[in-house]
Amino acid sequence: MDKQFARWIKLLFVLLAAAALIIFLVSIGELVRLVIIAALLAYILEPLASFLESRGFSRVAATAIIFLGILSTVALFIFLLLPTISHEIRSIQAGIQSGKATQLIQNLEHFIQTRLAFLGMQNLNLIEKAHQMMVNLGNQIFDYLLNIVSLITNLVIIPFIIFFLIKDGREIKRNFIRLVPNKYFEFSLNLLHKMDMQLGNYLRGQFLDALIVGILSILALWLLEVKYFVLIGAFAGLANLIPYVGPVAGALPAILVVILESGDMIRIVYIAIAFAVVQLIDNVLVQPLVVAKTVNMHPLVVMFVVIIGGKFFGVLGMLLSVPTAGVIKVVIQESIANFRKYRFE
Amino acid sequence: MDSFWGNIFKSREKREEEITAVLKKIPIFEELNPREVSSIERILHRRTYRPGEVIFHQGDAGVGMYIIERGTVEIILEPVNQVVAEIKDGEFFGELALLDESPRSATARAKTECRMLGFFQSDLFGLIERDPRLGVKIVLRLASIIGDRLKHSNQQMQQLMHRIHELETQIQQLKETTAKGGRKKSRQASADAPS
Repeated sequence: MDKQFARWIKLLFVLLAAAALIIFLVSIGELVRLVIIAALLAYILEPLASFLESRGFSRVAATAIIFLGILSTVALFIFLLLPTISHEIRSIQAGIQSGKATQLIQNLEHFIQTRLAFLGMQNLNLIEKAHQMMVNLGNQIFDYLLNIVSLITNLVIIPFIIFFLIKDGREIKRNFIRLVPNKYFEFSLNLLHKMDMQLGNYLRGQFLDALIVGILSILALWLLEVKYFVLIGAFAGLANLIPYVGPVAGALPAILVVILESGDMIRIVYIAIAFAVVQLIDNVLVQPLVVAKTVNMHPLVVMFVVIIGGKFFGVLGMLLSVPTAGVIKVVIQESIANFRKYRFE
Repeated sequence: MDSFWGNIFKSREKREEEITAVLKKIPIFEELNPREVSSIERILHRRTYRPGEVIFHQGDAGVGMYIIERGTVEIILEPVNQVVAEIKDGEFFGELALLDESPRSATARAKTECRMLGFFQSDLFGLIERDPRLGVKIVLRLASIIGDRLKHSNQQMQQLMHRIHELETQIQQLKETTAKGGRKKSRQASADAPS
């Protein structure tokens, strides 16, 4: 009886500690978000550091080289693509300011009323709604600019965390393992190793997949002469992180741009075909090669995690929700599988 | 203040020297140069076990080997609880688990207070990725040790087979002798019988 009572007390204590930890993590939510982003990126970059080490560099030198490489890539990206992107953003702004937007929205309203009238879509009053949206957007941009300090802090903190996670990741893991009692030592070591392998494969696969889909989408949209092709293509790549919904969400902005511009149905069909081809290449060639199949998730689960991610962290939350859910799934899956292989007496 | 830091560094250096000395005695690491030994030192896990504490159970998934820095470990066969070996300072056990994850073939329990160094499969794989030359050296050494054991087991098996063959021959001879004796007796019995 005493033993059972002690067990209940222990369980209560663990639950209280878990609740306290969750409350603490929620209260420092911003920092947790930064650590999650940094950890995901560090995971993706880790094999590069190991590769450089195998070429005779020290861990510090390997980490420094990776950072120099990233900085050079970002600089090159800014140098090559910034003019295009800034031109795209400027033309969006110019369109909004010149009153051309009213014309474009009227185009859209006309398109919907003529072609989708059977759905009961009439008297949409889109211009007023768009005006209201622009006011809200203006307020949001103002808030965002006020928050520029936090943006810069993030841009400094994330690389800082990534640097130390790559440089000292092994040491951090070893020190964590050192704290584990002897009884659970081998179990924890094995669990961490299994999770490390699965997560590494999964996250690197997702990253590569998003990168390839992004590049293919940019190429396709450039060939179809769609405006803002770089921004829309990059968004399509990122949206691809979300299964089922992502590919559609990636194509929508391109279709919307064409509707707003000309309402040309043939171009819309071309865009739909282009995105279907990109998806076909992704599903037949890219995914089987780079994405780990072990983290497959049920469509319902995907939908729920995307909604929850969006609710708490906005668009970024939606994009990161599936990889984060993948991480949680691997942790639970491996814990259960591993638990059966050990005796805890 | 200087002596305070000096003492801390001195004790750490002394511990590292002790670990290096222990590692140099382990056949897997004996051919490594000082730089390579220090690479190994960096990935070892240092653990301390109280007397009677179980290090791993028979049937648990194997994750790697242990080197005893100080203390004595008993290797126990379950469920009969028979102690089949005692391993002491500078010796090692569980090295087969570096190569595969098959279940541990016996339970290891600390007999005295033990200071151990754990060298695990995940760390060996990481090392092979980062420093293939050193990784190959260790794996080759491990293969050679396991090969030696296999040869030794083969010799033991041959001796056993030879012994079994001898015993079988002796049994056959005994059977034949018994059968001859039996036939003689029955002939004698039939000759002695009144007609």
